[in-house]
Amino acid sequence: MRKLLLALTLILVLSLLFTSSLLAQEQLIIYHWWTAGGEREAINALFELYRSKYPGIKIVDNPVPGGAGVTMKAVMKALLLAGRPPDTFQVHAGAELKLYYDGGFLLPIDDVYKALNLEKVFPETLLKLVKIKGHYYSIPLNIHRANWLWYNKHIFDELGLKPPKTVNELLEVCKIIKEKKPKVWPLALGTRPKWPEAHLFEVLLLAVAGPEKYIKFFLGLLPPSDPAVVKTFEYLKKLLPYIYPYHGDLTWDEACGLLIEGKAAMNIMGDWALGYYLVRGWKPGVDFGAVAFPEGVFDLLSDSFGLPKGAPNPDATIKWLKLIASPEAQEKFNLIKGSIAARLDVPPAIYPDPIRRKSAEDLKTNIIVPSCIHGAIAPDPFVSQFIDTINRFLYSPDIKRAIHELDLAFKTFKVTEFHKGIALYDEYLKAVKA
Amino acid sequence: MKANLKYAIIFLTPILFVTFILYAMVLWSVYVSLTYWYGILPSWKFIGLSNYYYLIQTERFWIDLRNNSLWLALFILPTTFLGLFLAYALDRIGKGEGIFRAIFLYPTALSFVVTGNVWAWMYDPDVGVLNTILKSLGLGFLQSRWITDPSIALYCVIGAAVWQYTGFAMIIYLSAIKGIPPAMIESAVVDGATSLQILRHIIIPQVRHATLVVTSLLAIFALRVFDLIWVMTGGGPAYSTDVLAIYMYIATFRQHLVAVGAALSVIIFLLSIVIVIPYVKWAMKRWLGLGGG
Repeated sequence: MRKLLLALTLILVLSLLFTSSLLAQEQLIIYHWWTAGGEREAINALFELYRSKYPGIKIVDNPVPGGAGVTMKAVMKALLLAGRPPDTFQVHAGAELKLYYDGGFLLPIDDVYKALNLEKVFPETLLKLVKIKGHYYSIPLNIHRANWLWYNKHIFDELGLKPPKTVNELLEVCKIIKEKKPKVWPLALGTRPKWPEAHLFEVLLLAVAGPEKYIKFFLGLLPPSDPAVVKTFEYLKKLLPYIYPYHGDLTWDEACGLLIEGKAAMNIMGDWALGYYLVRGWKPGVDFGAVAFPEGVFDLLSDSFGLPKGAPNPDATIKWLKLIASPEAQEKFNLIKGSIAARLDVPPAIYPDPIRRKSAEDLKTNIIVPSCIHGAIAPDPFVSQFIDTINRFLYSPDIKRAIHELDLAFKTFKVTEFHKGIALYDEYLKAVKA
Repeated sequence: MKANLKYAIIFLTPILFVTFILYAMVLWSVYVSLTYWYGILPSWKFIGLSNYYYLIQTERFWIDLRNNSLWLALFILPTTFLGLFLAYALDRIGKGEGIFRAIFLYPTALSFVVTGNVWAWMYDPDVGVLNTILKSLGLGFLQSRWITDPSIALYCVIGAAVWQYTGFAMIIYLSAIKGIPPAMIESAVVDGATSLQILRHIIIPQVRHATLVVTSLLAIFALRVFDLIWVMTGGGPAYSTDVLAIYMYIATFRQHLVAVGAALSVIIFLLSIVIVIPYVKWAMKRWLGLGGG
C-alpha cells in the first residue's frame, strides 16, 4: 500500500513539473474554424511562417469545425465569459467584431496599425469595419467576395446565352433555360444548413436596391416595407419556379455540384465556390464562368484576428498580428485559401485564376458593401431571424408576412442601436440624423 | 453501526455531490429564465415571467410544442410496438437469434450524426435511395420530396428515429420475455393457444414493466431530440421540423436571448418531469417493496 502511494505521489509530482515546464514556454493559443480542405493547408502555411520567425513560441492550435464559425462562436463565448480568453481568435470584420467589443473582451491595437502604417494598405471601407469608437480592434487577413454568379459554360454556349448582369436579365435567362432544357434547373441552391437562401436574398437586394439602400436596410434605417425591399421579394417569388426544388436536402457545396452534374445552370454563391470547382477538376473559362452580380459592387466579408483582453501571451499575439498583416503572409495564405489578400498592394497578377484577379482589381475601384449573412453587418440575433424568414418564404412566398417578420426582428434585436460605434455605420447613422 | 456510517459517507458523498450539481444547475437555469440576460454579457436584473410571456407570444414556440407532441405520439407507439414484435419473433424463432439481435441492435449504437446524414442521403428526392428504389420497382407515383416537403418532413425525421430506436426497445423487451416462466407459455401451447393469443394474453401483460421503461425513456428522448433533426434538416423546411430543443439552442447561441433559452430549457424540464413521474412511482414501489409492479 505504502509503495503504491509513493508511486502515485511521484507520478503526480513529475506530471506537475512537466506541465509547469510547458507553461513556462511562451505560447500562442489560437482559435479558428478553418478545418476544411484548402483552408487547413492555408492556416498551416501561416503557422509554418510564424514558427520559422519565432521558433521559441509554441503554437497551441484549436480548430473548431463548423462553417462560418457557427460552432466556434459558441465555444468562444463560453471561454470569454469564463474569463479564459485565448491569445487570439478568428472573427469577421464588422458586426461580429462589434459583438465581442460590446462584451468588453477586446483590446485596441492602434499601435500595430501605426507601426506598420496599415491605414495606407487596407481598403478604406474595410478599415472602417475594424475601427470601433476611434480605435482599431483587428487585423484583416483576407477578403472574400459574396456576389458572384457561377454558370455552366457548356449549357450557356449551347443555348447561346450571355451571363446575366441584372435581375431582369437573370429572370430572362432562367426562362430561356427552362423552355429549351426542361430537365435543367436554371438556379441551384442548397439550404440544408440554413443560410444560402439568405445569401441569395442579400445579393438580389444589392442588385435591386443598390449599395446605399442595401446598407441602410441592414442598419435598420430603411423600413422593410420600402418599395426596394418589396420589389426584391417580388423578384425572389418570380425566381422560385426556376430554383432547384430539393434545396432543403443539399449543402451549399452540393448545390455547386449541381452545375457540374448538368442538373442546374447557375448558382449565386461567394468566391469559395471557386475552390470547390477547381478541386472537382472544372476549368474556369472552359467548363464554367463567373460574373460579378451585380457588376460594380463588391459584397465583402473579411476574416480577421484581434487581441483579447487578458490574453495569457499578449506579446506572442502582437507578433502574430504583425505577421498576418505582412504582404508575405497575406499572399501565402490567400493563394491557398482561395480568397484574396486584404492588402491592396498585393498585385492581382499573383492569382492563377481570372476570378480572383478580377476580384482584386474590383476591390480597388468598386463600391464596397459589407455582407450581412457573413457577419459584416447586422447583429447575429437579427441574422438568425432573417435566415428563418427567407427560408419560410421559399416554401410559402407571402411577402406581407416576410416584411412583418423582418420589421419585428429589426425592433426586437435593436439593430440600429447595435451598429453605433463601428466607423462605417456611424457615418450612415449621422447622415440620417442630420 | 460505526462501519455502516463510514460506508454510508463513502458511498453517498459522490451521489450527493452529483445530485447537488445537477439541481444547482436546474435552479440556476430557472433563475436565469427570470432575468434580463439578453446579449453576450450576463445581466441579473429580475424581470419575472416576461421571458415566458415572450415565448407564448411567438408563433415558433407553438409550432415547436406541436412538433414535440407529434414526436411523442408518432415516435413512441411505433417504436414500442415494433420492438415488442421483433422481440417476440426473435424469441420464437430461437435459431439465429443472436445474429438478428445484433443486426437490429446495430442502429442504436450509431451516433445521431451518422444516422442523420445516412437518412438525409436516402431521402434525397433527386438521387436518394428511396426514390431510386421506388422508381426501379415501377412505383414512381409513390416518389416524394421527403424531407424537402414541409408537409411531411417531420414524419420522415421521426421515421429515421424509429429505425434507430427499434433495436433498443427490442432488447429490453427480449430480456423481459426471457424472464417469463416457460411453463406459462408451454401450458398455453398445450391448451391450443395461437401465437397471437399467447402474445396478447401472456406476453403483453407479463412485460408491463418493460413497456413502462421503454415508453418513459423514449418519451424523454422525444422531448429533448436535437441532434438527429439538426443534422437532417436543421429544423427546416421553414419551421416544419423545428422542436423546443432546437429553438433553445437558437435562442441561446444565435439570438443571444440567453434568458429565453433558459426559459425554454425549464419548459422542457417540466414536461420531462410530468412524463417521468409514472416511471419513478413504479420504480419506487418496486424497490421499496410496497407491492404493485
